[in-house]
Amino acid sequence: MAIIALHPTLESSRRSDGYAPLAAYAVIGDGRTVAVVADDGSIDWLAWPDLDSPSVFGALLDSEDGGQCTVAPTVPFRVRRRYLPGTTVLETTFSTATGTARLLDAMSMYGPVLGPSRELQRRVEGVSGRVPMQWVVRPRFGSGQRPTRLGRRAGIPVATAGGDAVAVRAFEAGTARIDEDRIWGTFETAPRSSAVIALCGSHQEPLVFPTRQDLDLRFTHTLASWRSWLDNRSYAGPWRTAVMGSALVLKLLVFAPSGAVAAAATTSLPEQVGGERNWDYRFCWVRDAAFTMSALLRLGCAAEAEAFFWWLVQATQLTHPRLQPLYRLDGGAHARERTLPVPGYRGSRPVRVGNAAALQLQLDTYGELLQTAWLYAEAGGCIDRDIGHRLAEIADLVCRLWRQPDAGIWEVRSSPAHFTHSKMMCWLALDRAVRLADHGVLPGRHRARWAEQAAACRDFIETRCYSTTRASYTRTADGEELDASVLLGLLFGYPDPHGPRWRATVDSVRRELGHGPYLYRYTGQDGLSGSEGAFLACSFWLAEALARIGRTDEATDLMDQLVLLANDVGIYAEEIDPDSGAFLGNLPQALSHLALISAATAISQEAHR
Amino acid sequence: MSIWAALAGGFAGTLVLTTVLRASTELHLTRMDLPFLLGTAVTADRTRAKAIGYAVHFVLGIVFALGYYALFLALGRHDWWLGAVFGAAHGVFAGTVLVNVLLPLVHPRMGTPLSDATTVALLEPPGFLARNYGPRTASVGLAAHILYGTIVAVFLTLAR
Repeated sequence: MAIIALHPTLESSRRSDGYAPLAAYAVIGDGRTVAVVADDGSIDWLAWPDLDSPSVFGALLDSEDGGQCTVAPTVPFRVRRRYLPGTTVLETTFSTATGTARLLDAMSMYGPVLGPSRELQRRVEGVSGRVPMQWVVRPRFGSGQRPTRLGRRAGIPVATAGGDAVAVRAFEAGTARIDEDRIWGTFETAPRSSAVIALCGSHQEPLVFPTRQDLDLRFTHTLASWRSWLDNRSYAGPWRTAVMGSALVLKLLVFAPSGAVAAAATTSLPEQVGGERNWDYRFCWVRDAAFTMSALLRLGCAAEAEAFFWWLVQATQLTHPRLQPLYRLDGGAHARERTLPVPGYRGSRPVRVGNAAALQLQLDTYGELLQTAWLYAEAGGCIDRDIGHRLAEIADLVCRLWRQPDAGIWEVRSSPAHFTHSKMMCWLALDRAVRLADHGVLPGRHRARWAEQAAACRDFIETRCYSTTRASYTRTADGEELDASVLLGLLFGYPDPHGPRWRATVDSVRRELGHGPYLYRYTGQDGLSGSEGAFLACSFWLAEALARIGRTDEATDLMDQLVLLANDVGIYAEEIDPDSGAFLGNLPQALSHLALISAATAISQEAHR
Repeated sequence: MSIWAALAGGFAGTLVLTTVLRASTELHLTRMDLPFLLGTAVTADRTRAKAIGYAVHFVLGIVFALGYYALFLALGRHDWWLGAVFGAAHGVFAGTVLVNVLLPLVHPRMGTPLSDATTVALLEPPGFLARNYGPRTASVGLAAHILYGTIVAVFLTLAR
């Protein structure tokens, strides 16, 4: 239960300069976009109309002028949150001296009746006593860069900016008033009272004004849809609550119009508060593909797995046979990076949209793609002749590329280097190409060449990427720095999991990069100033690595600690400050949740061997 | 003007249009694959989808040629440049309405801007001017349709 210190205003005292701690955020979504909701009832981020669009609520990056939507008591309150069981509908219960009210936040599924193309419902139910409430909608389209006009259509408050519009429907929530830059109202809850404030959006089409009955129907439909989806997931192993919660987060990050999976729902949340390590994660990274495919298959999401594979195959076609590290959610290859003139989360600038990492050479992506194809084919997915030929051409390219330096999985902005993880993934690409050829999925004409180059790549790794001094695979060839990403080699099948080198590497990485249950990504330079927190996915990789080398008891202990690091509603960010426990980086981070699912299932499997 | 010439022109025009689009795909100018898009409306089997899609595409190409034929007949002329103008209009219509709006609405496996978490789309929607399939898709599609219209007109001229 999260306890918020009390304040007789809409702004919680936990906020600093208007910014809530990142761990205070939950997320809701509809498969097209995601809203980020603070535990004081404020929606501080909502990209509109799609997850990778500019924001209409951007207080997360500009607390004064970014825009937000707040529903909260006007008297001091304590708060408790959870997701309604089996759903991503967020319940925030406000307890005050005069009574208790609960706020239900959901982004509506479209449903059978005519509705807006996007709809956000905020429903306030009286539980006991009376609670004075206020709601405020301050939309700022175009990430606050486009002028937003407020007015009324048929008496209904409406905010517009060019081809975008939001109507605010309020039922039993007081009279909707319009001030200079906000639409707002006040009301008081009573036992069994039920108010609704709905934001009904349109993009390049006329607004739809739903009735209260329509809103109720869609809310019921939304609850039922989420429960139905989760009921059909199959996972009976340990840490089930955390795994199923992560499954829901993953589903929220699936961009339904295309099947792509976003790395996170936000942009430019800092890896160091006040620092420059602020990136836009609203793209699909090939790096995450194998984890995504594996998680979807393990959770029984066959349809989502197929859609994701189809998307991956289509998106990479324009750049074939080369792969970009990331692609847009609509499958586009251009992700031009620019900065926005906004203050950033707690002064963390620049605020970036787009991601220049799209132009980097990252050799690990080839291994991720071939591993994804391998997992998909192994699960009975159909890879047709055309796709087989394309994958073979990619394997041919890896034969030519693997000796080159690259930017690595962490997308360093320093000079390219021979990253060990990249080499391991190149080995993986060639090994999986050989296996797929052996199964008749890929044409076998170049099989011998792939096998020969895989052996050469492995020889390079074994002779130049292992340090007997550090007793570990190193960050780069001939280097002495350590990097937690090498653990992915172990997780994906780089030989030999029970050999002395992997045992030593797991111990060295834990000792040198670890801090309690936390793990830093690497030691050494990356071309950026400042530092960062511990990388949550790496901790889960370590837990899985421990299981893979047969130390399941240690893996279980670590996992028990890691599942407690989520916030009160089970969300993980990208990083965590080991000293304060504060979240850092974009959220919810798909890679953190994917790594959790992967580690939980792997530990379960190893424990039952 | 002969209706048979229009049909033959439609077939030849579709052949050229399909070849141009396919070549553009190989040249990494676009990911647009019309036969694949059409075929996956019928089956999720990628190989079978392409075979069916080619057949459907040729039928549609011939049907559109009949539309061109009717317009030429109404205007009383069928100059090659008029065919090119029809082709350009056809290309713009295809990019803005036909493929962008109508196809996602009837395609059972294609996402739309309204697709939500209750649906699983196997195909990404084309977007305005089919730019989701690559920024050059619009210009490639326009050029291919101009060629198509020109070929239909030329066939009618040659058959005179």
